[in-house]
Amino acid sequence: MAEDRYETCSEGSACSQMGSNNKCKHVFDRLCGFAPSWNWNTTTTTTLPPPPSGRRIFHRDVEKEAFQYASSSHCLSSYYSVFVVRLAIMVMLAILIGLLTILTWHFTKIYTTKSLKTLAYDLRYELLQRPILRMWNILNSTAEITTAQVKLSQYVIRRYSNPVNQAEQVELYEAMRAITWALFSSKKALNSITINYKNGFVQAFHRDLKDNNTSYIYSDLSNYSMVANEMNSFSAHQAWNDKAIHGNKSAIWYREPLDPVTGDKIGKAMKIAPEDLINIAGLSQVPDGVASWHVAVSKFTDSPLLSAALPVWDSSNKSIMAVVGVTTALYSVGQLMKELVEMHSGHMYLTSQEGYLLATSTNAPLLTNSTKHPTLKMAVDCENEVIKLGAEWLQRAYGNHSPPSHEVHVENAKLGHQQYYIDSFFLNLKRLPLVGVIIIPRKYIMGQVDERAFKTLVILISASLCILVIGCVCILILTNGVSKEMKLRAALISQLEARRKAEASSNYKSQFLANMSHELRTPMAAVIGLLDILISDDCLTNEQYSTVTQIRKCSTALLRLLNNILDLSKVESGKLVLEDAEFDLGRELEGLVDMFSVQCINHNVETVLDLSDEMPKVVRGDSARVVQIFTNLINNSIKFTPSGHIILRGWCEYPNSCNGSPIFPLEQKKSRCIQKAREKQNANNEKRTTKRDNKVILWFEVDDTGCGIDPSKWDSVFESFEQADPSTTRLHGGTGLGLCIVRNLVNKMGGDIKVVKKEGQGTLMRLCLVLSTPTDVTEQHYALDFTDNSLVVLLALHGNMSRLITSKWLQKNGVCTIEASEWNGLTQVLRELFHARSPVHNNNNFDAHYPVTEGLKSKLLSIQDMKKPVFVIVVDIGLLDLSTDIWKEQLNFLHRYFGRARFVWMLNHDTSNNIKMEIRRKGNVLMVNKPLYKAKMVHILEAVIKERNLELQKRNNMIGPRTTTKEGELHEFLEIDSTHFDAGSSDDSDTSETVGSNPVSVDGDKQIELVARSPASSTYKINNCLVGLTNEHLEDTNNARKEESCQSSPSSSKHAIEESDPKSLSTKEPSQGGDSECGETHRAAGPNNNVVNGKNSLEGLRILLAEDTPVLQRVATIMLEKMGASVVAVGDGQQAVDALHCKLGVDDCRRDSLQKERNMRSQTEILTSPYDLILMDCQMPKMDGYEATKAIRKSEVGTGLHIPIVALTAHAMSCDEAKCLEVGMDAYLTKPIDFKQMVSTILSLTKRKTS
Amino acid sequence: MREKEKERKEEISKMDVVTQMQRQLIQYTSSLFQEGFLDDQFNQLQQLQDESNPEFVVEIVTLFFEDAERLLNELSKSLQVEQESIDFRKVDAQVHQLKGSSSSIGAQRVQRVCIAFRNFCEQQNVEGCLKSLQEIKQEYSLVKTKLETLFKMEKQLFAARGSISR
Repeated sequence: MAEDRYETCSEGSACSQMGSNNKCKHVFDRLCGFAPSWNWNTTTTTTLPPPPSGRRIFHRDVEKEAFQYASSSHCLSSYYSVFVVRLAIMVMLAILIGLLTILTWHFTKIYTTKSLKTLAYDLRYELLQRPILRMWNILNSTAEITTAQVKLSQYVIRRYSNPVNQAEQVELYEAMRAITWALFSSKKALNSITINYKNGFVQAFHRDLKDNNTSYIYSDLSNYSMVANEMNSFSAHQAWNDKAIHGNKSAIWYREPLDPVTGDKIGKAMKIAPEDLINIAGLSQVPDGVASWHVAVSKFTDSPLLSAALPVWDSSNKSIMAVVGVTTALYSVGQLMKELVEMHSGHMYLTSQEGYLLATSTNAPLLTNSTKHPTLKMAVDCENEVIKLGAEWLQRAYGNHSPPSHEVHVENAKLGHQQYYIDSFFLNLKRLPLVGVIIIPRKYIMGQVDERAFKTLVILISASLCILVIGCVCILILTNGVSKEMKLRAALISQLEARRKAEASSNYKSQFLANMSHELRTPMAAVIGLLDILISDDCLTNEQYSTVTQIRKCSTALLRLLNNILDLSKVESGKLVLEDAEFDLGRELEGLVDMFSVQCINHNVETVLDLSDEMPKVVRGDSARVVQIFTNLINNSIKFTPSGHIILRGWCEYPNSCNGSPIFPLEQKKSRCIQKAREKQNANNEKRTTKRDNKVILWFEVDDTGCGIDPSKWDSVFESFEQADPSTTRLHGGTGLGLCIVRNLVNKMGGDIKVVKKEGQGTLMRLCLVLSTPTDVTEQHYALDFTDNSLVVLLALHGNMSRLITSKWLQKNGVCTIEASEWNGLTQVLRELFHARSPVHNNNNFDAHYPVTEGLKSKLLSIQDMKKPVFVIVVDIGLLDLSTDIWKEQLNFLHRYFGRARFVWMLNHDTSNNIKMEIRRKGNVLMVNKPLYKAKMVHILEAVIKERNLELQKRNNMIGPRTTTKEGELHEFLEIDSTHFDAGSSDDSDTSETVGSNPVSVDGDKQIELVARSPASSTYKINNCLVGLTNEHLEDTNNARKEESCQSSPSSSKHAIEESDPKSLSTKEPSQGGDSECGETHRAAGPNNNVVNGKNSLEGLRILLAEDTPVLQRVATIMLEKMGASVVAVGDGQQAVDALHCKLGVDDCRRDSLQKERNMRSQTEILTSPYDLILMDCQMPKMDGYEATKAIRKSEVGTGLHIPIVALTAHAMSCDEAKCLEVGMDAYLTKPIDFKQMVSTILSLTKRKTS
Repeated sequence: MREKEKERKEEISKMDVVTQMQRQLIQYTSSLFQEGFLDDQFNQLQQLQDESNPEFVVEIVTLFFEDAERLLNELSKSLQVEQESIDFRKVDAQVHQLKGSSSSIGAQRVQRVCIAFRNFCEQQNVEGCLKSLQEIKQEYSLVKTKLETLFKMEKQLFAARGSISR
């Protein structure tokens, strides 16, 4: 396995050499790093060649190379760690299993071997004991026989002692022969028994074991008969020496074959050579008269013989009568050995102490077959290899110094090629010590064990290998999971990293976008401003004019887009901080609807505002952003609604009251809301006073009848740059940012916006905002009840939705309503109403002409029941046929009912002046601009009720000029419209641009309102005196700036005169027509004035410019004068303050003088400051802008005046802005002055003031 | 006839001269913008010029020159080396003024040096101030010559045009 790995490594290196595979490099590197330990590990199990050093060097190079990739190897490193862990676990497993295997094998083997060894020792011992025992037995039996023979011989010889004659001698011998035979025959194992008498006579029985012949051998009797006797007299020793026997060679020996069983003679005695056959034990063998043993050989047998000799003593025990010798063949021992060896294995042999072989377990001859005489062989010379080697080994090992007891136990004697056990035992017989040696091949005893051990080892190793392999596979599988997980994690981490990066980059992108749009906005503003200047230039041809107008439109669109992006990024970056100021929500929304209704007139779309009564009037929040939300939504709706209506519904829900579920269908909800409102009126009041933090959830719906949004796109339309239908961009333009901003803003306000399913065509967007209501403001619901006034309102309006909603609301508030949607209907209803009441007319008659619906009828009936109903007829100017002159007829027709009902005229924005004049001439003074909504209706009704009350009063008192009070009321109430315009358009560039590009201009409207604001006469006068005073003042303020001021003053004063002239004229004119018409005229003039941002947008404004740098002073002066403002420039703060004071002082003087004339003029008007606005440079000599502002503000304290002061600074830092605002400035412009921005700032400030 | 033709030719040649001058003027102006002597503010000034004040730009620029020269004089006075202590606040105010006026005619480079100058003022670094003063003077004289050349060219052009229209 390890080898394989190594192979892959080297392959990997080969790959890396090719320079194509980074991964391989890494793998290789890793392996290199681990090579030493790994080698060490592997060498324990398998031998591994050490990696060649050349390759090592190469690795280094690779490592160096790979180092460059180290940064990207994050993922790989985890892979390697897994790999290494895997390897380590595998190696550990291998070691463990290997150890276990070896230990098991070792212990098994040790124990087996040990037990076997003892067993084997016993066996060997036993094996050797047996032949020795046999030997012993043989010896014993031989000894017994010999002893018996000796005893018998003694007895016989004693009996026949001193034989007197031959016959006795013979008898003795006969007796001896018989005894001997008896003994001989009783022991079959005996080889021979010999008796050697002292006279030299020899008797012997001999058994040839080979051919089972038994023979009796005896010497010639005659030769010894006497001699022996004689000899006996000699010393025994002399007589019995060998020489005597050998000297007896002359004696004749006979051999007589015998029947082996009976002992009878079966053949003739044959002469044989003496001692030819057998050893005859002589006297020499018993030298000291004790039994002796020795090993003999005979030529008849090839095995050695054991012979024992024992002397036969005479009765006195003094002389040896005869010597008995018994020889026994050792053949049987060899036989036994053979048998034993056959049964077991190995070799045995028995030697004498000198090393002569006595018996072996082999068939090898024991005697050397020398020609002369067989002799005993040494064990070393044995023909059997094993025995020979064994004997040699023993000799080599111990030499002649054999161990004391001759006992040797050797286990691992290597003889030849085999291992043998060699054991020797020593049999210590007297005079014949014997050594038994057993050589058993090791194989015989331990062979099995070794084999088994080997087999076990093999099995164990294979088993452990299997386990190892399985374990490795398991580990592989297990770690595979882990590594997979790690890989996944690594992937996840990298993914996260990538995501973070992507987010960061998108962040950068949006940041960039925001920055860019911010940067682009300034040049765009410049472009637009310059275009404005260009447009206001008169020298343009028509084509140029249209081109420039086009450019301006595009630029404003671009600016709008930029603003949107900015808004979006502001919200997204969380930097948008919502204002928290109280504002009149209803008013804002009404202003919005007013604005959009202007836009919608061309679209044939009706804009309807439908707010529930319980809506809090004043809420806390960011009014600009709320308005922006609705502006965007309504803009969006208008874009996609070619005809129909757009309804902005609103209702609210108090989170602390549980029953506010917004999911009701509208109608149901409305009714419930009413109930709720009624019920909760008191409860809520209590709650509101107790609870400090009044969060209120405001629900709004923008419902249009446009093309609708596909349900699948309901969510995505709120994404940035997302449009429901890509093709709409072509048709309607837009970028898809509007709704995104809306959603962001709504979310920011803690609300939610979504598209809701709607019945019928169109889209229904529902959103909720969480705003807080001011706690200290008392409840300002339109908790009006007109029930008591028995009002009847006839709504003759074009727009279905607004009519429906208004009438519903009115009915809810206890006002009876009748609806008419067109001229005919109106006339019908009028006839019905008034003619039915007049006794002249007949109801039924009328019915015949015009079908009257049941509802109308019942209503008419209920009206008839009323006491003195007051009729209010709201007539849409659109009902009149304005295209022809019929409208005059219609007006006359309506005028017939003038006395009986109050007419309220709903005017369009483009209603022409003469129509208005005509209407006014008819005495109709209640005129409101479309659209009609609740607040307007309330005002109308209040006016009507007031008027009626006045009339009642008049009728009662007959005093008090009717008109004055009424006009006052009217003024007040009609002005509501204009303020709404201001509020609606002041903050949102988007809106203002949209409106601005419209031919019907709101700005223009505003402008006129502005002019109309101040009563004509006073304006004129003040203007005049301003001119004068400027000059005066400039002369007074005598300093370095004098020349410049003088330069500028003529132009400015001229300008002022020029400007004031037409204005005064325009204001004078209506004043002739009567006070009542004054406001209206200007309103009427508004829509016709198409120049929006034109030359004279600052017309009539008196501006004090405090700027020390002459250049800037001049530039700003020119800019402002171009816009029609009259400018007084001063050089420092002190002058500015002085100028103001001086003016005020002069004013005061004038006021004093004028006081008598305008006796009851309101205080504020007289105190109007000489300047409408001050542009104040911040850094000036003598007194800087901050100080000057402080001084001015200080002087203002108590007068109720507040001159708007706009700071001009070169530092475009927010801290400066803060500082400016802190000292009491109202706005802030940065140098160099941006034309457009300056104008808009000035306009917004002066308007705020005038409004 | 001939005379008329001659006149015509003359006129044409005059026209050529005018167009050439115009081109030169435009090139010169654009070079001023490119080289950073002037910026958009100058454009704005030019746009403010109309029939009612036909000499507006010249007037403003002249104002600037006067103002700047006065300020530069004051500056060099207040930065005189012999002087013991330098009123840095005063210097700062003067430089601020200069900066304001230069920025409103669009003399970008002067404005830039002014910013550096103010930094030195804040650090009360006399050497830096002096260096900046030199730089401002240099830049001012540069822009002055440039603008004067420009006005001269404009005048010439105007004159040439006048001759044609006559």
